[in-house]
Amino acid sequence: MTIGSDEAAAMLADVDSVVAKVKQSRIYRSAALIIMLWGAINLARDGLIALAPGWFGPRWFLVDAIGIAGTIAILSRGATAGARPPMRTLAAFLLFYAFGWIWADLIGDFSPRQQMAFWPTLFLFGYAVAGLWFGPAFTAIGLGLTALIVATYFWSGAAFPLCMAVVTGGGFILCGLWMRRA
Amino acid sequence: MDGPDEIIHQPIRLRVMAALTALDPGEDGLDFTRLKGLTGATDGNLGAHLDHLARAGYVEVSKAFVARRPRTTVKASPQGRAAFARHVAFLKAIIAGM
Repeated sequence: MTIGSDEAAAMLADVDSVVAKVKQSRIYRSAALIIMLWGAINLARDGLIALAPGWFGPRWFLVDAIGIAGTIAILSRGATAGARPPMRTLAAFLLFYAFGWIWADLIGDFSPRQQMAFWPTLFLFGYAVAGLWFGPAFTAIGLGLTALIVATYFWSGAAFPLCMAVVTGGGFILCGLWMRRA
Repeated sequence: MDGPDEIIHQPIRLRVMAALTALDPGEDGLDFTRLKGLTGATDGNLGAHLDHLARAGYVEVSKAFVARRPRTTVKASPQGRAAFARHVAFLKAIIAGM
C-alpha cells in the first residue's frame, strides 16, 4: 500500500477533526449537568421571590449558594481521584458576584426588578464569552437567554418574577438538555 | 518506520479509532449512535466496521439494556490504542518525508 503525503495529511486532519468533536462533546456533557442544576436553582429562587418577595428578595443569594455548592460537587465528582478541589471555579463565582455587587449595589443601586434581570445576564455574558473557547453552544445559550430576559424585563409587567422563574429556570433546563445532545 | 495498519487505514475505521482513543482508557467508551454521528456511517456500515475492528482485537463491544432499550457501547482495547498510535506515527512520518 502506497500513501502519499497529501493523503496522509488529509487522514490526520480527519483524525484531528474527530478528536476535537469528541472533546467538545465531553465539555458539553459535563457543562449540561451544571446548566440544568442552575435551571433548577433559578426556578426555585425566582419562584420563591414571586411568592414571598419581602423575605426572599433580599436573601436570593442563599439559594445561589446551594447552586455554587452543587456546581463544585459536580466538578469534584467528575475529577480524577486525588485531584484538588476546583478552586478556580469557586474563585470565578466570587469574581462574578463581586463585580455584580459593585455595579448593582455599590454604584448602580438597582431596583429589585433590575437586580433580577441583571444577575442572570451577568453570568450569561460569561457563557457567551466562554463559547469563544469551549464551543458555540455556550455563546448561543448566553445570547439567547439574555435576549429572553431583556424581553421579559420590558414586557412582562407585574408578572415579572414569575416570568423570570419560567425564562431562567425553564430556559436553563432546556438549554442543558439541548447541550447534552449537541 | 512501520507500515500502515491495514485494518485502521480504512477511513471509517480510522475515525472510529480516533474517537475511541480520544477518551481516557478508564472511560466507558462511546455508544453506537454517537459513533455513527462522529463517523458519518450508516447503521449497517458502522456495524460491519466495528465487527472488523473487534475481530482484530482493537475494540471491545458490549451490549446492554438501558431503560429497556438496547445500547451498544464500544471501547478501544489497549492493543487498539497501540495500533492507532503506530498508524498515526506512520502518517506523520510520511508528511515529514521520512
